[in-house]
Amino acid sequence: MKTPKSKYENNLNMAALTPGQKNFLRHQKLQKLYIFWSRILLFVAFIMLWQVSSDLGWIDRFYFSSPIAIAQLFWHDIKDMSLLSHIGITLLESGISFLLIIALSVLTATFFWFYPSLEKMFEPFLIVLNSLPKSALAPLIIVWLGTGTRTIILCGISVGIFGCILNLYQSFAQTDPERLKLIETLGGTKLQAFTKVVFPGNIPTFISLSKVNIGLALVGVIIGEFLAGRKGLGYLIIYGSQVFKLDMVILSIVILCIIAMGIYALLNLLEKKI
Amino acid sequence: MFQNPQGKPFLRLDHVNFSYYSNLGEVKVLNDINFSIEKGVFAALVGPSGCGKSTILSLIANLLKPVSGFITFYSEDFNAPRVGYMLQHDHLLEWRTVYQNIMLGLEIQKKKTTENLELVDNLLEKYHLSNVKKQKPSSLSGGMRQRIALIRTLAIRPDLLLLDEPFSALDYQTRLNVSKNVHDIIKSEQKTAILVTHDISEAISMADIVFVLTKSPCAIKDVIPIEFETNGIQREDIRKSKLFQEYFDKIWREMQNENTEIEI
Repeated sequence: MKTPKSKYENNLNMAALTPGQKNFLRHQKLQKLYIFWSRILLFVAFIMLWQVSSDLGWIDRFYFSSPIAIAQLFWHDIKDMSLLSHIGITLLESGISFLLIIALSVLTATFFWFYPSLEKMFEPFLIVLNSLPKSALAPLIIVWLGTGTRTIILCGISVGIFGCILNLYQSFAQTDPERLKLIETLGGTKLQAFTKVVFPGNIPTFISLSKVNIGLALVGVIIGEFLAGRKGLGYLIIYGSQVFKLDMVILSIVILCIIAMGIYALLNLLEKKI
Repeated sequence: MFQNPQGKPFLRLDHVNFSYYSNLGEVKVLNDINFSIEKGVFAALVGPSGCGKSTILSLIANLLKPVSGFITFYSEDFNAPRVGYMLQHDHLLEWRTVYQNIMLGLEIQKKKTTENLELVDNLLEKYHLSNVKKQKPSSLSGGMRQRIALIRTLAIRPDLLLLDEPFSALDYQTRLNVSKNVHDIIKSEQKTAILVTHDISEAISMADIVFVLTKSPCAIKDVIPIEFETNGIQREDIRKSKLFQEYFDKIWREMQNENTEIEI
């Protein structure tokens, strides 16, 4: 496997390396390869153990399914497009929830930064709402909005938004006051201090909050689909458990894992580009 | 009241008082500050740490308002003077390139005119920074970063430069080189400047006039004109001269009477 060269390696003139340095770099490369292949091996071992346990009857196939049964179900559901539509719905609802969490959090935190006394007023309420288990709110949201996409998206938003606002505002408020003074000495307004220093200086926080909140949006959407969905992976999990089609439940969970990994990788890529 | 003997003042502080207020009561920071500075003069305010030196600069830059007293600029063209402020740290924004950092003031003041862009290019060229203008500040040395911060301040064509201990974050060797660099740049651009420092050597080697301040509440204790050129001493020989030692001893004694920590 070809591993990407580190920045450090790229900066080095490979021809000018001493034997000690070469040895050090080789050791580092081997360490990386060792960890990468160990992960693959661990995963393959787990899948094989699961399949063998199921084939030999060490675990009940009805309750625990097997990798081959799940793969067959995946192939069957992909062919008739039903699975893709459920995945699409969950992704769409999570995407909308995530974008709304981010947009509303940035707007609110910005507003609080301009008017800090407003933040002082709202802070205890936000802390209470953030600490509240959001699944407790879901039945109430269903009564207010009925079942359907709106409720699911609201569930998705409710899980992450309060923490996101609090964290983003804290980060804005911790901007080095000397940097704000710099803008003031250059004749800048508070709006310019925000656009030139506060917001760009908090992009790393913004990215790390996005990483957390994409996951939280997915959690909220799955809760929403459990309770109020007629489509989506959350609905498949609940439906599968009710009719004892546990292959379907496990397949949906596996797909959720893959989605979470994919989104995380995408955000990592975005972070590196920025 | 201390005043320069000749010439029209460019900046004048009359009976300026300033206090901070807290739950514990009023903290008097400045006590009846009076001084004036002529155009083109490099002045230094020397005093113990925490005596209120930076507060004087903040008042001149209009970042704070005095409790009482007046701060007056004398301008020939009746325009409000432009004040450039250099802070203790360079505060270069790491997400901007060197060039974008230098342009910050012009962007804020919406003055990205052809003339000003030319000025920036000339300053970069003159002070050997053109080759790093596309780099991010994190890749540069402390001394280079301070020179960039100075050019960022000069780009807005200030009539008065306020330097708030701009070298305090640098190591001693770099500090000597950069303070000389900055002094030469300010003199060659013919700017009026006020340097705040608690480093006596730095004040003597850079300034034309040194104001010695008392500990808090800050007042002006003495004014010492620094006259190396009139005594035939070249700038590069200043620190080795007997006169430097005499100035140093004088300011040292003034400061020792204040019974405070002094940096040599």
